[in-house]
Amino acid sequence: MFFKFSQKIILAVMLASLLITGCASGNNNATQAPASAGEVKLILGAYTTPREAYGEIIPLFQSYWKEKTGQTVTFEESYQGSGAQSRAVVEGFEADIIALSLEADITRIEKAGLITNDWRGKPFGGMVSTSAVAFAVRQGNPKNIHDWADLAQPDLEVLTPNPKTSGGAMWNILALYGAAKRGHVAGYTADDKGAQDFLLAVLKNVTVMDKGARESITNFEKGIGDVAITYENEVLVGRQAGLNYDLVLPSSTIRIDNPVAVVDTYVDKHGTRDVAEAFVDFLFTKPAQEVFAKYGLRSPDAEVAKATAASYPPIQDLFTIDEFGGWKEATPTFFGDNGIFYNVFGQVQGIQTSE
Amino acid sequence: MSVSSSSRTTQIQIQNSFVEWRDRNKAKLGKWILITVVVAYVAFLIVTPITALAFGAFEKGIRASIASLNDPAVFKAFWNTLWISLLVVIVHAIFGTVVAWVFVRHRFPGRNLINGLVDMPFAVSPVVAGYMLLLLFGRNGILAPIIDALGIQVAFAMPGMVMATLFVTLPFMIRELIPVLEAFNTQQEKAAATLGANSWQTFWRVTFPALRWGMIYGVTLTFARALGEFGAVLVIGGGVQGRTETATLFIYRALDERQYVGAYSAALALGLFSLILVMGSDWLRRKEH
Amino acid sequence: MNLQTTIAATDNQHPFPWGRWGIRSVALSYLLVMLIIPLLVILQDGFREGLAEFWRQVTLPMAWHALKLTLWTSALMTIINTSMGVLTAFVIVRYDFPGKRFLNGIIDLPLAIPTLVTGVMLVILFGPQQALGAWLKEQFDFSVIFAPPGIILALLFLTFPFVVRSVQPVLMELDRAQEHAAATLGAGGWTIFRRVILPPLSLPVITGALLSFARAIGEFGSIVIVAGNIPLVSQTAAVYVFGEVESENRLGASAVSIVMVAIAFTLLMFADYLRQRSKKRNA
Repeated sequence: MFFKFSQKIILAVMLASLLITGCASGNNNATQAPASAGEVKLILGAYTTPREAYGEIIPLFQSYWKEKTGQTVTFEESYQGSGAQSRAVVEGFEADIIALSLEADITRIEKAGLITNDWRGKPFGGMVSTSAVAFAVRQGNPKNIHDWADLAQPDLEVLTPNPKTSGGAMWNILALYGAAKRGHVAGYTADDKGAQDFLLAVLKNVTVMDKGARESITNFEKGIGDVAITYENEVLVGRQAGLNYDLVLPSSTIRIDNPVAVVDTYVDKHGTRDVAEAFVDFLFTKPAQEVFAKYGLRSPDAEVAKATAASYPPIQDLFTIDEFGGWKEATPTFFGDNGIFYNVFGQVQGIQTSE
Repeated sequence: MSVSSSSRTTQIQIQNSFVEWRDRNKAKLGKWILITVVVAYVAFLIVTPITALAFGAFEKGIRASIASLNDPAVFKAFWNTLWISLLVVIVHAIFGTVVAWVFVRHRFPGRNLINGLVDMPFAVSPVVAGYMLLLLFGRNGILAPIIDALGIQVAFAMPGMVMATLFVTLPFMIRELIPVLEAFNTQQEKAAATLGANSWQTFWRVTFPALRWGMIYGVTLTFARALGEFGAVLVIGGGVQGRTETATLFIYRALDERQYVGAYSAALALGLFSLILVMGSDWLRRKEH
Repeated sequence: MNLQTTIAATDNQHPFPWGRWGIRSVALSYLLVMLIIPLLVILQDGFREGLAEFWRQVTLPMAWHALKLTLWTSALMTIINTSMGVLTAFVIVRYDFPGKRFLNGIIDLPLAIPTLVTGVMLVILFGPQQALGAWLKEQFDFSVIFAPPGIILALLFLTFPFVVRSVQPVLMELDRAQEHAAATLGAGGWTIFRRVILPPLSLPVITGALLSFARAIGEFGSIVIVAGNIPLVSQTAAVYVFGEVESENRLGASAVSIVMVAIAFTLLMFADYLRQRSKKRNA
């Protein structure tokens, strides 16, 4: 009626391909068991880096909880840049548990009234894992990068993410600044001016600014750049995945503290408070801490740290966010509209970025 | 004197045929240069990237590629993409026809403005589209109280992703239908009416068949665009695995997880699927004429 | 009832039972919900602190540079795309050669590939560590990926079908008598093309070009992977907006978005105006 025979054949092929894909996907969906009374679902929102660690911790928790209460826990996970994840929760992403890269991102959720519990009262100040800012360099370190000062050498290509979207990027900048200010960068004075001069020198070498820490390191793995400023654990996880590049620990760097918290508004809404809090507590126990250590994160637990000391050489000069008065002061000072980072960045291009 | 004039004639004849031969071959040469330029451009711009993708997908062999797709997460993601796209196509098919009809058959103030507005989503960055929806349906959004009262979740849930996709695919159906409707001669409709058909019968049996090519092409473009949507669904959906992950978001995640074979294979599958649709409808249309 | 009144009566009939205003309100509410409300929301958000703040956000160095970069890369890309698009349409319509059907088929390929995938493919192919990218870098110090040329390349890929498919149907319908006449009068190929073939194509060419430009302004998925995203160097307006959305500078995000949408909207309205004008001329 409407179509010739040949056209009908083609239409049929198109419809068939649609249906086949639909059925294949739909079937797989249908075989998943529906939620029942003995089942509970937890939604985890995390930053990009600990993806593999949680991949192993979650099954551990699932069997632990099943043994303890007979309840089956299923997880829905989301991994994005820390800032992006934090913002998503504020905008309505109903995560039960939030695991982020820096405290400031949790504070944002607190300010929105979604977190009301005393998460800092947990072990280690609520910090479930730590790491340090380090460098990823090509195998054999052909450009001879041993410390911060080497990053300013001419014709070097440096990768670091964009602080607007990436928590890791903020840690990177603060590590750089702190190391210079504390006098560990040869050729620069141990004060704010020296630190800013050094920041300018390094930013001149940055060739790509990715959205997140994970994107940055995978770009490096594709062969882009000579050195990536990143989390120590990103490098270790990458190497575990079979990629060949070297880790360089600078003499002075910042300790990255990663917080975890239960999101009160949503656990109460979902009725999952018990499980969620149990999960957070579980993260501070030895089994979980050992998994974190396995995936490149330095454990704040003294025993686990000692047991894994071989993989984690001590850092000469390790400072924390307190060097900058905590995130409360660091964020506006460095990353606000007229922040130090954007000022210096503008100088790289010869443009004034502040009034 | 006749001998030299005849040899002159021959000379001119030979010269003329040489000029003809030269011009013909110049034209031929010109033609082949143009063809080569175009083929080279298309090969460089379009074929090589697709081939690179195929190489990436089949790097560890075809079986490994298929195996990487044989995963519940992949199925869920593709399933999400599929039903979002189908829903979007159905909505636009119905309402797009209505809008096209009103635009072509009615005269009212502001008609030309509507025409420009319809093209809008085409020009709006997907990130902006997602952001607009967040402004409306986010936790502090303008419509938040209403949807909270109704108990539905829009942002970071499927409804938001459907709305985002609806927005970015809006123009295609309408744009395809308007010219077809405009070209349609209403005489047939009037004839049907005089034969006693009511307005619905007239539409369904006289007008609609004439629209079918516009509809098919509109459906195809809408579907292909919906399948490939990334920026808007990323912003409004959050990429929660198992919940708001579409095929494109899965590819994005697979790249982050260093699952390159999986990422490229999924990309290839998605592209192939859209390609079948687009080329299929092109073929159909050509068979018709 | 005679024939005339019957015909007159059918002019007011509609396939939908609610009559003239019923169908109009359906159409209008659909457009309202899908289009107008979201756009109003952004407008309201961008101007909520007044015109001065709006302008300040737009003229921030990083925002301003992003807008400039977006505009010039899209413009340059449009010029290349239009030329190659017309040439491709011409070659496909006028010439026969092996593989022509295949070529015609793959022109639509960019429409079928998600933008994210386009970006990934280009990095695989032209990234600085690949053969071609490394060679270009060494010989000419020319970076394709993570620099503006990468942006242009991605945009060229994405918008390739627009000009070609816009010109093709018109070219096919063209009456060749005038070309033959010009040839007998001694005009060469290029002259014929420029003065006989091109003028009737001017409308589809311009429409296709404007469409490519408008599409390019808002592109995100491929650019965010391919461009490097360094503010003040290789960060486009769409990527800038994404950064502002993610770092809570919503006003800035809305302000720049409004500018982008306004530019694209103006272009599309202009294309539409041209279409209407030509229709009136041909009527």
